[in-house]
Amino acid sequence: MNWWDDALHRATAEVVLAGALGGLIGVQVVLRRLSFFTMALTHATFPGVVAASIIGVNIMLGGVVAGAVVALGVAALTRRRGQDAAAATGVLLSAGFALGAALVATQSGFSRDLSSFLVGSILTVSPQDLLTTALVLAVVALVLLAGARPLTQIAFDRAGAQASGVSLGAWDIVLLLTIEVVVVTLVPAVGTILALSLIVAPAAAARLWSDRLAVITALAVLFGIGSGVAGLWVSTQWNVAAGASISLTATGILLVSWMGTRLRMRAGLKRVPA
Amino acid sequence: MIEPFQLPFMGRALAEIALLALICGPVSVFVYARRLSFVSDALTHTVFPGAVIGFVAGGLEGVFLGALVAALLTAVVLTVLTRGARISDDAATAVVLTAMFSIGVVLVSRRSSYTSDLTSFLFGRLLTVTPQQLAETAVLAAVVLVALLIGARVMIFRTFDPAGAAAAGYRIAWIDLWLNVIVALVVVAAVRAVGTILVVALLIVPAAAARMVSDRLAVMAVLGTVLIAGAGYAGLLLSWTASLEYGVALTSASSVVLLLVAFYLLLIPVRLIRSAGART
Amino acid sequence: MSTAVEYRGVSLGYQGKPALTDVDVTLHPGQRLALVGPNGAGKSTLIKSMLGLVDVLHGDAAVFGSDPKSARGRAGYVPQTDSLDADFPISVRRVVMMGRYRRIGWWRPARAEDRRAVADALDRVGLTDKAGHRFGTLSGGQQQRVLLARAIAAEPRLLLLDEPFNGVDVLSQEAIVRVLRELSAEGTALVISTHDLTMAGELADLVCLVNGRQWAAGPPDETLTAGPLRKAYGERAVL
Repeated sequence: MNWWDDALHRATAEVVLAGALGGLIGVQVVLRRLSFFTMALTHATFPGVVAASIIGVNIMLGGVVAGAVVALGVAALTRRRGQDAAAATGVLLSAGFALGAALVATQSGFSRDLSSFLVGSILTVSPQDLLTTALVLAVVALVLLAGARPLTQIAFDRAGAQASGVSLGAWDIVLLLTIEVVVVTLVPAVGTILALSLIVAPAAAARLWSDRLAVITALAVLFGIGSGVAGLWVSTQWNVAAGASISLTATGILLVSWMGTRLRMRAGLKRVPA
Repeated sequence: MIEPFQLPFMGRALAEIALLALICGPVSVFVYARRLSFVSDALTHTVFPGAVIGFVAGGLEGVFLGALVAALLTAVVLTVLTRGARISDDAATAVVLTAMFSIGVVLVSRRSSYTSDLTSFLFGRLLTVTPQQLAETAVLAAVVLVALLIGARVMIFRTFDPAGAAAAGYRIAWIDLWLNVIVALVVVAAVRAVGTILVVALLIVPAAAARMVSDRLAVMAVLGTVLIAGAGYAGLLLSWTASLEYGVALTSASSVVLLLVAFYLLLIPVRLIRSAGART
Repeated sequence: MSTAVEYRGVSLGYQGKPALTDVDVTLHPGQRLALVGPNGAGKSTLIKSMLGLVDVLHGDAAVFGSDPKSARGRAGYVPQTDSLDADFPISVRRVVMMGRYRRIGWWRPARAEDRRAVADALDRVGLTDKAGHRFGTLSGGQQQRVLLARAIAAEPRLLLLDEPFNGVDVLSQEAIVRVLRELSAEGTALVISTHDLTMAGELADLVCLVNGRQWAAGPPDETLTAGPLRKAYGERAVL
């Protein structure tokens, strides 16, 4: 029997890829404080996915189109910083969610679709889905590598980056669209809530261990993969939803990291002579 | 146009939305000014495990209490976490949201069929609001209004000038907790009847839309209430008409939200005209 | 002689609404220009306009003889430290290396000459021993010196500094002044905004007095006197 024929093997491969993808983009999301935007994206791509499945075109395409509209909308809105951006993100979130739910409700048997939208269906991942995730991972890694310098410059010092000739608008759009592609890739497999969790929690945990971006990124990828595999194992052992157990594992890693840094800080304080 | 609302369940649905309009108008103004959109969104998700545990422990009666405990717990946790500097507040909010929601999912997913639980959590059961739920909402609405009246002046001070408020001797953490608890109470009051989709919208969209028209907080609050009431009435009527006359299953929560968002979009030009006028 | 900055009857503003008017100033290489005025007078607006980040509503504005937009990447800019994220995970050395990014590009690894430029810049501001520290752990004055080092590493012919002495300790202030004098001796044109009149008088050979409009421009002993200052700060100014 082919190794890939086993649903659990495919699921394992998918969580490894998804964990790496989430950890990679998560560093940018955490540094730029884009968690709420990511959450809004997970909900806003929903109507695109549903509409695509109703018309019968590729689901991913529907998600990408809907997400791109939202990402560009947010990019336009965040040019004016302040309350309006946060509120507009919230409005997009509500609108996307409501629209998607309304579309789903017109179809029969919709509660199953809705709950798989929330918690994903990792055990039904097809070889084709795996290929897509791997491809997206490669592309995202390339984009982030190529843009590492300007993205870091902008994240650290927007005004200075602009003065040195970096195009803020173009790079903001590149980043938001990259996040969007990751979200669209992750949601069908692992669900909205877990997508957010896999993006934010490993990167936030990694941030606690180091002040160096390269180390943070490597750790985030490691934590993402680790929580994916461990969470999947827990899910098969105790028969709980995989999305939820992976998300809780990622949270656990963050908690341990947080306590670890508290202890390190306390030890560091003690070493300082009084 | 009032005929459908003479049916008891439609009348109760409208009454529920009217009650929520009363509190969500002013509360959404604070959510807007303090940029608590994400916190509100998180609260709507974190009540889920509370509701599940409450249901397991005490049946339908336990849901309310469970949600209340979970919401208050989240309000405290979020207040504490967002003050710690090590993890940025949006990341902390995201993690609390996903973790709490996942606990809820783990609890329901142990049962064989959990999809309908999730669905009702998302959509609520606006059309099956019972007189007792109405009474619960009314009580919570009264509590929220009183809490708002007591805290309004201090919360505005803190929003506008945190350093000044701290210098004047206020404990910022307690003021923040006060507002988070108010938002939590609104969520508990509303979530069972109208579902998460609608609660998030009620907490974020009204003030954002009202901001297009006015920059005075009191005007925004009143306008927010009017917008919710209007969208509630029209949305219920719309879903009623759609399902009865055209056979389209349009969920009432979705149609209310989409109408609210439509108001927001319609008011954007007003904002643009106003700011253009201010410049010349 | 070529000019670094040349403004003739310039009005600046955002979306058609003027923020600063009647600017007439000429800055040559090696000169130090201080922009003086109260908070909100338009000092930052004037600095940003030299990078083409503010609309020119009237008049002629030129940086190195052409459109200010083309100065982006050629002029150095030192922002105020309080606009930065203190928690950002980045070392002092990396911040200074950012000044070299325009030369290095996206891909190429930093060469020995880039690393040398970074080390030199850090040495000039006296922070060589802090190179490995995280930027956010430094004091306000040290952070300001790091940002100055970043600008130096880019080897600009025009350097723009937005309130470099705000909240800076005495040691850092002396270090910054010394480096600025050295830079102008090497031929760099400097624009420094400040509300510190004494500092402006000591440091600058040209002063531009602004508050909504330009009230005076010229050597410090002509501009930092009672008459022009009253105009810029109002009649009740305590001098």
